[in-house]
Amino acid sequence: MTIAVCIKWVNYSGPVESDTPDERFAGFSFADQAALEWALRIAENSSDEVLVLTAGPVGAEAVLRDALSRGAHRAVRIDIDLTSDSSVIARNLVGAMSQPRMVWCGDYSNDRGSGSVPSFIAADLNIDQALGLVALELPENANASFAAVRRLDGGRREQLLISGSAVLSVEGSTVRLRRASLKNTMSASKQEIQVITATGGRMDTPALRPYRPRPRVTLAPIGLTALERVKHITDTSSSKGHGETVHAEPSAAATLILESLRKWGYLP
Amino acid sequence: MTDADIIVVGAGPAGSCAAIAAARSGKRVVLIERGPFPGSKNMYGGVIYPRILDELIPHWFETAPIQRWVVRRSTMVLSDTGALNIDYRSNAWGQAPYNGATAYRPDFDNWLAQQAVAAGADLICSTTVTGLLRDDQGRVCGVSTDRPDGDLTASVVIACDGVNSFLAKQAGLYPTADADNYTLGVKETLSLSKHIIDERFGVRDNQGVDIEILGGTSGVNGGGFIYTNLDTIAVGVVLKLSKLSAQKKRPEDIIAELKRHPAIAPLVEGGQVVEYSAHLIPEAGLEMMPKMVADGLLIAGDAAALCLAAGIWLEGVNFAMASGMYAGQSASAAINANNVSANSLKSYTDRLNKTFVLQDHKKLRKIPHLVLSDRIQHKYPAFVTGVVERMFRVDNPTPKPGVRRIVSQERKKAGIKLSELVRDALTGLKGFG
Repeated sequence: MTIAVCIKWVNYSGPVESDTPDERFAGFSFADQAALEWALRIAENSSDEVLVLTAGPVGAEAVLRDALSRGAHRAVRIDIDLTSDSSVIARNLVGAMSQPRMVWCGDYSNDRGSGSVPSFIAADLNIDQALGLVALELPENANASFAAVRRLDGGRREQLLISGSAVLSVEGSTVRLRRASLKNTMSASKQEIQVITATGGRMDTPALRPYRPRPRVTLAPIGLTALERVKHITDTSSSKGHGETVHAEPSAAATLILESLRKWGYLP
Repeated sequence: MTDADIIVVGAGPAGSCAAIAAARSGKRVVLIERGPFPGSKNMYGGVIYPRILDELIPHWFETAPIQRWVVRRSTMVLSDTGALNIDYRSNAWGQAPYNGATAYRPDFDNWLAQQAVAAGADLICSTTVTGLLRDDQGRVCGVSTDRPDGDLTASVVIACDGVNSFLAKQAGLYPTADADNYTLGVKETLSLSKHIIDERFGVRDNQGVDIEILGGTSGVNGGGFIYTNLDTIAVGVVLKLSKLSAQKKRPEDIIAELKRHPAIAPLVEGGQVVEYSAHLIPEAGLEMMPKMVADGLLIAGDAAALCLAAGIWLEGVNFAMASGMYAGQSASAAINANNVSANSLKSYTDRLNKTFVLQDHKKLRKIPHLVLSDRIQHKYPAFVTGVVERMFRVDNPTPKPGVRRIVSQERKKAGIKLSELVRDALTGLKGFG
């Protein structure tokens, strides 16, 4: 089986003054490095091959050779414009994997990417996803399920038990990537890299927009003077609101609440 | 069988030229660089004279990443408030076959290393060579590196690992290390628009200027420099290591002082520091050179102290490139002869002796110490600028004084004995040939 690792070729050098990335300062993020290391560790205890993939121009092959020198078995470069949509990149990456047992990705790239490629990969492969992992415990049996901890918003953590095929994205702090041996470094510079020309368009996703309540029609304030009209709008001493006390069964009360919210314009 | 025929340590100008020469002769060459890419750790303080590349890379000037071609060469003598500038301009230097150029070393060195790769060498970056491997008879037969499984064997190792070469020291080729033989080069790269640089320095297009400075180093023996890149200028100082240490001064303070000098301030005004760098320089020439050949080992470039710091001539990259090229050729010839003993590799030093590499150093062997001597450094700038100041100052109604009288008075004022002046003049004449 194949364990796929997706790494992103990015510029390390901070502000980029030129439109063309300077290949001397390019590499892959610590998160991507951690993803590669986890994949290599699993492959060491199994007969899986590690397939490393990246999307970008010829210069991106440097990160693939780096990955090969550290132990990856095979490398594929998707020849694609780096500004392409995440869904297009994900679809092309998936096209280059043949039913992978796992897909490992970094949780972030150094170029402030959206981090959405792993999700698109999971959607396209129709397998589970566990994103933003901050800790993992790999079992000796590479095929057994394993525990992981996922980062949630607000500093919360979620404990997961991962089994079967999944897309996993990890933070850079989870593990340090091994250093390549000299012999591997030398042989990786000559190893073949498969190049696949990108195809296809955007992945279909439902159109989403922020929630906006529909406008409510309100009567003009009443009063002969401006002060009275302002008081009519702002006065809190008397109730002008929708306060109403009803006695009803829970289901009827819920229906009533929804109807009221709809009537007042809070629900579409 | 060895892993490679030749291992070149260091992908600076010397290493890359060694790799090019060796790879072109059909040898299996591995070029090892400790930085993430060639040139990432390198700096220099002046001009590259790349004509030596004619032999190695025909039409190099069409592809080399040059910033500006130097058409103005100035030597400036600074006293506390005055400056004497001797300036020569030749627009012919801005056309092929060119003379000197300014370049960013991360660009130039990387370009040169890519020529080695194109010639067939394997470039391995981010790898530090930690030591030499020796066979049963004590001959060098490879290197160890900081990578796992990091030993690499070869018939010949060419050490181009720069100033303070650990490999040359490990091989016992540097008998002693004397701080008096080294200077510290410190440089600020200042961002200025090309338009401003062109106006301030009187150049156009890709014409450049190189200004070498005597004085202006806050009392620490050394010198200064300014040179132009396309949209930056480099200003820096070269400071004798032992004096810098003894005087407990900070190099960045000395550069700041130089930038405040009335003759320098208008040139650097408004420049934003975009880079600050420092590097040791092997300054003493022939007097500090190590033995450059051992069984299975050659030393080239700054590692062999092949840097010419002789007052009006300040060159290093061309000596590095030439020595590297000759080292590559000699190593290749020795392998062809199936004999990589020191005796066989001696053809390397023979080549250096027959060419400018060692002939210039021999001719100018006394100059580096003369230029950095206390008298030249601390008394002559005041003496020279004092003489010029009085020659061109019009004190009417007082009549003009005689030049001989001015020289005599200013010499005494600067505290230089006549015998010292004569001795220095003779040493200079003899040294400069």
